[in-house]
Amino acid sequence: MKYAIKMTGPVQQVLRAMLADPAASRYGLEISKLAGLETGTLYPVMARLEAVGWVESRWEDPDLGVREGRPRRRYYQLTQDGAEQARLTLAEISRIREKRRATLSAVQPGTLGASL
Amino acid sequence: MTGALPGLAYAGPLRADPLAGLFGILQTTRPDADLDLIRRAYDVAAAWHHGQTRLSGDPYITHPLAVATILAGLGASDQVLCAALMHDTTACTPCTLSELNREFGTEITGLVAATAALDQIKYRDASTLAQAIATAKATDRQVLAIKVADRLHNMRTVQYLRPEKQLRKATEARDFFVPAARLLRLEMVEAELETLASTTLSRHRHAHTASGRLLTAMAALLPPATQARWREEWLGELHTLPARRRRVCFAAHTLIGIPRLAVTLRRPAPGNRQARP
Repeated sequence: MKYAIKMTGPVQQVLRAMLADPAASRYGLEISKLAGLETGTLYPVMARLEAVGWVESRWEDPDLGVREGRPRRRYYQLTQDGAEQARLTLAEISRIREKRRATLSAVQPGTLGASL
Repeated sequence: MTGALPGLAYAGPLRADPLAGLFGILQTTRPDADLDLIRRAYDVAAAWHHGQTRLSGDPYITHPLAVATILAGLGASDQVLCAALMHDTTACTPCTLSELNREFGTEITGLVAATAALDQIKYRDASTLAQAIATAKATDRQVLAIKVADRLHNMRTVQYLRPEKQLRKATEARDFFVPAARLLRLEMVEAELETLASTTLSRHRHAHTASGRLLTAMAALLPPATQARWREEWLGELHTLPARRRRVCFAAHTLIGIPRLAVTLRRPAPGNRQARP
């Protein structure tokens, strides 16, 4: 199956982390902690997810930052379509993985060599 | 007096008189004010600025109106109020001084011209300011009052500017306009300007740490249209980290990812969907 985005390990980690609460908006550092990724890996992933429309990002209300004496933060959120696609794609990947594991374990020791 | 004037944001046909706030203040501070003249100045400025917007999205005319309203609270003269309303017309629109002169006479036009001319100097040196004020004629003080009110409103809405510009405006406010307000004995303005400048500067304190500078410099590898966004995003993240060691780690890890991010951002998006800058 061809995915809209190359489902590398980090991409899957980010999507799993965000799908835990699909409606939540989070800033980069939060996602990096949840997904267990360093920020150097995270930001390129976020840029790719944003480019395919699975994730949207926006600035927080600038007044909030002014009140708290800090720069405004950039928040990321799964789009509705993105959450849907991510769920389907991750499920598909788990299915393929499961199937592969089942096939491998069904193979009797020694028979693999004989069939080659 | 607070930043936004009620009613200014609505552009619908049923909008209240945009000058209601200003005139309300004048009732207490300047009951003898020439409201017809002030309205004429507003109409001229609004016509020239028609279609222009501020970075906040508000119509541009809301800015000179807010500046005039600040000055009205300080009891400024009709001439100063008119000049404040039209202070950006010659710089930001095709309006010329001779046109203003025909309509409003030399005094108001002179104030507009002098206010615009003040922008040519560098707002850095508090000592030259002190000297200038000490020997200044009354008109120069009025011009300076317009500039101080102008900067006060700009600082009230500073969050809409790019971070570098916020930093510059806040530094100028602290070093030039706060002393200027003090010299003009505008205590309220001085206090508010000082607070706004210091909160803005503290919000940007990480921009000048080693981590902040490194991230800012390396963002130059990204496509130009996206640089400002990522710079600001990273400086925002730096702020959430309390310990210096963690900020350095964040900067180091983020730096490692910048080349890949640059490649990602340069790649044409599938279905032509572009990442927003």
